[in-house]
Amino acid sequence: MDEMNKDLIICRCEEVTEGEIKKAIRSGARTITGIKRRTRAGMGLCQGRTCQNLVRKLLAKETNQKLGDLKPPTVRPPVRAIKLGIFEKSEE
Amino acid sequence: MSVRSAEVVVIGGGVIGTAITYYLARQGVDVALVERGDIASGTSSACDGFVMLQTKDPGLKLKMALESAQIFQNLSDELEWDIGYRKDGGMVIIETKQQLEAVLPRIEEQRKYGLKIELLDSQQTKQRQPCLGNHLIASTYSPMDAQVHPIKLTLGFAQAAEKHGAKLCLFTEVKNIRIRKNQINAVITDNGQIKTEVVVNAAGVMAPQVGKMVNLEIPIIPRRGQIVVTEQVPPLLKGILTSATYLAAKKVGKSSQSTNEDAKKLGVGLIVEQTEDGNLILGSTREFVGYNKRTSYQGIHAVIKGVTKVIPVLREVNVIRTFAGLRPATPDGLPILGEASHPKGFIIAAGHEGDGIALAPITGKLIGDLITKGEFPNRFAQLNLQRFSKN
Repeated sequence: MDEMNKDLIICRCEEVTEGEIKKAIRSGARTITGIKRRTRAGMGLCQGRTCQNLVRKLLAKETNQKLGDLKPPTVRPPVRAIKLGIFEKSEE
Repeated sequence: MSVRSAEVVVIGGGVIGTAITYYLARQGVDVALVERGDIASGTSSACDGFVMLQTKDPGLKLKMALESAQIFQNLSDELEWDIGYRKDGGMVIIETKQQLEAVLPRIEEQRKYGLKIELLDSQQTKQRQPCLGNHLIASTYSPMDAQVHPIKLTLGFAQAAEKHGAKLCLFTEVKNIRIRKNQINAVITDNGQIKTEVVVNAAGVMAPQVGKMVNLEIPIIPRRGQIVVTEQVPPLLKGILTSATYLAAKKVGKSSQSTNEDAKKLGVGLIVEQTEDGNLILGSTREFVGYNKRTSYQGIHAVIKGVTKVIPVLREVNVIRTFAGLRPATPDGLPILGEASHPKGFIIAAGHEGDGIALAPITGKLIGDLITKGEFPNRFAQLNLQRFSKN
């Protein structure tokens, strides 16, 4: 592990560092969702839209998997944050 | 991890399976946990973190919940792991006279079990929880209600179990269970077999499939709960919140008292909590739709409508995520705990529906004691599977 990158922020919304993500992988995370559950990376306001690719690359490298073999996490609505008041008045 | 034999094999890496594994490992039992995915990859990561006592019916459920609550108090220290436990009290809001009439005798009954609970009038309710709307007529409040972080709790049990020597076999699927002369003999997985004489079925919504492997019918069906997560906001809600709708509904024998047709069909019962990080967790539907874990527009819409009515200021807050989890529901709403009548060595700990998080510590302790000491307290004896075949 590059000690230099240890404190590099990967998930900006939740301020999760590269060191924390690598630690999650060492403790057993084998999927992007597994990393999310252990570190909160991807759980913030942007829902991983910024950091997901970085997390994927780290996971692939650390676990010797091919990038293409990593399953993407489940996509959850809404696509963009929306106010409850607007959703409440909406129709399908 | 490849394990060839163990004294006990626990099937299921959710909050129940990891709790049991922890209690066994702590007693020095050679235990292996087998989970087809990751730790907390099913129901235990798709739920709220309620450790609520006052919603439990007086009787077995409340007894279990009270004993569990006791364990929760020092669990972070015991596991040497932050489980996000906060005891900030809980409130059940009352919106109609009918609900109030249903609540009054119930809280009297609950007090007899040792639950601290008080009735607040509308003014006291607003004082305690200023974010609430003005239509409430009363509420009940219990300082004993608490919340935890469900994923942290499950991971906490798992890592503590591992520290005590338990083997965690993750991404390993149980294919069959071998029986010899009506005695458990081995668990067959897609990564080889594990010789063992004791199996604990803690597979939650998958418990019936594991039961079939030993010719047992386990009456658990998945019940979907859809949940909404908001952006992080400054502290808005103190403790946890739910509504008395379900109580009045029980009394009149209908599935719901809601006037909203959608909410009725979806079984919406209000739950609201704010996490340590500031997100609000809003729920939830209670639907029987098989193993479908997707969210639906109607479900999310009904949840949001119910919540904004009670906490109007939430209309200004953003939804960032929605998800659904499957609760393992039993016909009588109580979990199935204890040793099955056959085969020898087959123990069931599943069917907690929406109470798995709150009841995990006591479940782990009970099953741990059953295996290490051969003791199962009389007061919980009727939770066994055999209760469904009596009539």
